[in-house]
Amino acid sequence: MDNYLQHRKILIVEDEIIILMMMEGMLEDMGCEAIATAHTNDSAIALIQTQFFDAAFLDMNLNGNSSSDVADMLVEYHVPFAYSTGNSIHDNRDGFCNRPVLRKPFGDEEFNRVLSALLHDGAMQPKRNAVL
Amino acid sequence: MMNKNMPEAALSKSGPQVAAEAVIDHLGDNCGPFVVAAETTRMAMVFTDAKRNGNPIIFANNSFLELTGYTRKEVLGQKFNFLLAHAADDVSLAQIKAELDGSAKSGVEILYCRKDGTEFWAAVFISPVKDEAGGIVQYFASFVDLTQHKEEMKQSQSLINELNHRVKNTLATVQSIVWQALRSSASPQLMRQTIESRLLALSRSHDLLTRGNWKSAGLHDIISDALEPFTITHAHSKRISIKGDNIRFSPKAALALGIGFHELATNAVKYGALSNASGSITVEWSRGKPNLDNDYTLEWREVGGPQIDPPKHHGFGSGMVKRGLALELGGEINLHYLRNGLVCVMKFPPPVDSIRG
Repeated sequence: MDNYLQHRKILIVEDEIIILMMMEGMLEDMGCEAIATAHTNDSAIALIQTQFFDAAFLDMNLNGNSSSDVADMLVEYHVPFAYSTGNSIHDNRDGFCNRPVLRKPFGDEEFNRVLSALLHDGAMQPKRNAVL
Repeated sequence: MMNKNMPEAALSKSGPQVAAEAVIDHLGDNCGPFVVAAETTRMAMVFTDAKRNGNPIIFANNSFLELTGYTRKEVLGQKFNFLLAHAADDVSLAQIKAELDGSAKSGVEILYCRKDGTEFWAAVFISPVKDEAGGIVQYFASFVDLTQHKEEMKQSQSLINELNHRVKNTLATVQSIVWQALRSSASPQLMRQTIESRLLALSRSHDLLTRGNWKSAGLHDIISDALEPFTITHAHSKRISIKGDNIRFSPKAALALGIGFHELATNAVKYGALSNASGSITVEWSRGKPNLDNDYTLEWREVGGPQIDPPKHHGFGSGMVKRGLALELGGEINLHYLRNGLVCVMKFPPPVDSIRG
């Protein structure tokens, strides 16, 4: 398998370790070597401001709080991202309805498909350097 | 009641209104008890004049006035649709028209507006009142306030959404348990046992949370329940001691803590203090100086077991202990592989749930 994930850095923002560990495992199996994780809005925002990411997965709800501040930060730093959620109904907030959504539970094929779409989109976008 | 208003009303009311009230008086004279019943029933009701444009209201009972907040004077002579929350709401207008025509089957639900501007849903039932020749002279309309019903529907919808969210998260948790077990190089037999034992741990945490209405769970209960299968099947009850306050944790934290402690116990059975006939485990926690950041200290101490080495690879169990417990406790986890056995020290602040009480 050609490893399109080589040299790519992925951020997972997820507050449930048990789900997070599976997502990390799936990414590792896809050949991704650089994975960063955050469990809270604050730690995710700090990571986005200080590191470069090729793509991110963002849980819509972190310990009962909306993660929309993280979404805004990802947009500001031009990091392509997909939401993940346990909600079945369409609950994207205004202005974010075109974001891809991974609905839990999801399989590795879907995870892979969404990730490659994100990286493809990212390649189309102007790059913004991380903190210089 | 109507008569009480008459002298004052006669001064200011328009011709049609006076005439309408005369009709009511006439009704009252002819069928007194029915009018009294209509006036005093708890069902909001109006009569309208079918012969006039817009079906002006010619009678409104007390319940209708209570429901809408208008005085009788303000209501009489108004068009039937004057209370519509959105006057140009074509759907509501069409529904009311169908109800007037008798083509609606079981009443219609309409959003109305009270005098104070607040809105309410009402089920509206309309029946024609015919004269001897069969012509419609009046309409009789009754209103059932659906506010409470709609509120209950909303609550039940929100419960369904919450349940659905919880089920999806649980399915994702189960998926992760299975996925990670299958990723290991264990035998199918061992994988099956591992998956089963973790699912049962998850199930016990669910039971504990259900007993507390999914509000919170106490740490002592979480640990006792997580260790219960090991105390029963292995007759280890005297070899495990658990001491500490039942400080409350949120459902999400309780689920992760349940699995974390289950993993510590599984490890003890496989390699640690419960793998021989003489080892024992003490789990104790207490609060130190309240000013420190992580003022609770919990110690999982195994003694009397074989000496164990730190694991070479980090799998599900060590992830759930080191990362899961650290995240849910909001503190630090340190594992010490001592000659006497494993010691796991957890330092953490009072959980948010216990601060809230």
